[in-house]
Amino acid sequence: MRKPMPTLAAVVSVLILVAVFAPASGAGKLSLWRLKTYIPPADKILDANAQECAKKVGVELAIQTYTFDDMWTKFTAAIEAKTLPDIAELDAVGPARLANLGRLSDVSDIVAAVSREQGTVLPNAEGAVKFGGKYYAVPHYAIPLLLFYRKDLLTKVGAEPPDTWDEINAVSEKVKKAGIQEFPHGFPWNRTGDGYDPAMSLLWSYGAAWVDKSGKFVGIPKGPATDAIKLVTKPYLQDKTAAFDYLSWSGSTNNESFMAGKITFTPNGPSILFQEDSTQHPLRKDTAIKVMPKGPAGRNLALTFVMNWAIPVDGKAQKDAKAVVSCIMSRESFTRYVNGSFHQAVPLFGKLLESDYWNTPDGKVIVDTVKMGHPVGWPGPTTPAAAEVISSNVLTDMITRVIVDKASPETAIDEANKRIKEIYDRLAVK
Amino acid sequence: MRQERVLGYALVSPVALFLTALVAYPFLSAIYLSLTEKIVGYPAHFVGLKNYATLLESGRFRAVAWNSFVFTAASIAVKLVIGISMALALNNVVRANQFIRGILLLPWVIPTVVIALTWKWLMDLFRGLINVSLIDTGLISSGIHWLGDPTLAMASVVIANIWRGFPFFGVSFLAAMQTVPQDLYAAAEVDGAGAVEKFLHITLPSIKSVVAIVTLLSTIVTLNDFSIVFIMTRGGPGAATHVFATYSYELGIQSQRWGLAMAASLASLPLVALLIVGVVRYLHREEE
Repeated sequence: MRKPMPTLAAVVSVLILVAVFAPASGAGKLSLWRLKTYIPPADKILDANAQECAKKVGVELAIQTYTFDDMWTKFTAAIEAKTLPDIAELDAVGPARLANLGRLSDVSDIVAAVSREQGTVLPNAEGAVKFGGKYYAVPHYAIPLLLFYRKDLLTKVGAEPPDTWDEINAVSEKVKKAGIQEFPHGFPWNRTGDGYDPAMSLLWSYGAAWVDKSGKFVGIPKGPATDAIKLVTKPYLQDKTAAFDYLSWSGSTNNESFMAGKITFTPNGPSILFQEDSTQHPLRKDTAIKVMPKGPAGRNLALTFVMNWAIPVDGKAQKDAKAVVSCIMSRESFTRYVNGSFHQAVPLFGKLLESDYWNTPDGKVIVDTVKMGHPVGWPGPTTPAAAEVISSNVLTDMITRVIVDKASPETAIDEANKRIKEIYDRLAVK
Repeated sequence: MRQERVLGYALVSPVALFLTALVAYPFLSAIYLSLTEKIVGYPAHFVGLKNYATLLESGRFRAVAWNSFVFTAASIAVKLVIGISMALALNNVVRANQFIRGILLLPWVIPTVVIALTWKWLMDLFRGLINVSLIDTGLISSGIHWLGDPTLAMASVVIANIWRGFPFFGVSFLAAMQTVPQDLYAAAEVDGAGAVEKFLHITLPSIKSVVAIVTLLSTIVTLNDFSIVFIMTRGGPGAATHVFATYSYELGIQSQRWGLAMAASLASLPLVALLIVGVVRYLHREEE
């Protein structure tokens, strides 16, 4: 009867010892986390490039992927458990959040080397990766949000491609009145990038940023923001050219609705072009893109979907990780990736934008969009507070409060400012 | 005697350790975190009940609490009715009983993600089977905004939840009904009792303990449901279907505010605790 106890104790002790002393990762092994994009062939090229680079450096590379939806679930757990990968592809706000926590290595040397080969970093992309004079991430590429529209329907109603927010409303009304589509205005002010990216572009194009140039909270100015909100809620509340269902769309529903021929306008990355091209979609010939609309304060676009390579300090093989990133970003490797991305991945180092690859009508629109973009938290730099304004959906909530809850724009702006102030008070920049 | 006691503790200890590690530690840790200002990556600072006070002051949280109540109450009420009806019907089915039971259990065994995606597609404004069918049969001229209208969106997520959960009610009630002695029904028939009387005076009293337990379990699960709402509406339109779980996700993962997120997800705990105490006391009284 007494024997089981020592045996059990021995087994448990061995298990504990194995767990405690097992190496976290073998020598020469690196982990890399990257975004799974809507362009599988491009992902394949990136993985092949990364593996080739790992081979050159003499390490084994384990690649894991995440989507835009689950990126922060994965990274949040890793930040707390101190198990960030050796190489992390971070979104537009990731470098600010992690650098502020002291969890990213200085990669200014890699940026300098890439700049020598491929030109300097676009000034508008710097705000997301450079803090206190040092680079904490290497800009990988940007996925610009474009205005997709149906050129055949515009021809039918005798309209020109819209250049302003008002013109999108006006053309949508024409399409509806002509009985072509019931709800042509496909701008979803929802909890996805298709919601918060246009929300920033809208507010900024009305001169309604919430910070000053230093990144200090000043509050969304009520006058211009009220005008902006009235304008974009009109299709939902008065014109009835937008359906309430759009507010519950997921990240891909606007792609599907556009390709199903149900909407005339929608904001999206170039992935619709890839999807239509690769499926020889009948609407491809009628699909066109344009730079997102301008407002009274001009065209101040948000550059929200920017991916960046970072080297978290958790990794034990910093030198190898840096060597792999340098290799992935070498001209030969990176050009192969960009040219296989179906115009989805726009380089953020100047010289590559001059390549013939972008010298097409769509390519020019895409590059112009990236060049005109501003980082999250504009006109200041990207900060953890600016990141939270976006991730906690303050801006889109402000718009949907008016559409769904019938709050006045002024009340919605007051509520948003209260939330933003609380965020900026709490998340002071180190 | 002493040796036996030691052996007893030794045998129980693995289970005790297992429960401590997998149940008690996360639960107590969640309570502690809810009393701290904890932002991902930063150390936690004890702030007492500040997070709860913040939530109570928040109009958004009050809307979330109301949505959670509506979502749970409506789902449970309908699942009860359908579950009892299903059990009553199956209890009287003689042929192909096992096959029908198997079919009716399907919604319960299908992964929730698949259920949510299927319902999302069914209720799509443009391409959803429901709208397309209604338009094609001439019953409506334009699509119903199942996931866009705030009231209909709540009804839609409730419907998906009911569809997933009713088999659990039905099968549990059926199992309970099959333990009711047939003599009772025979005696009631002799006394001239009809179907309704037999249900009200024999069936229902006999299965009420199971009804209480199933309702309690389902209430807890429904109150914490995430997948259906997140996949179908992401809490929208606006915050019309935002519930405790989606709100906690927004606070904890997207905004990285773990302390506040824990407080939001634990906010329903007093209600659940009251329910558990109520049901346990009721069952205890019944037993006595």
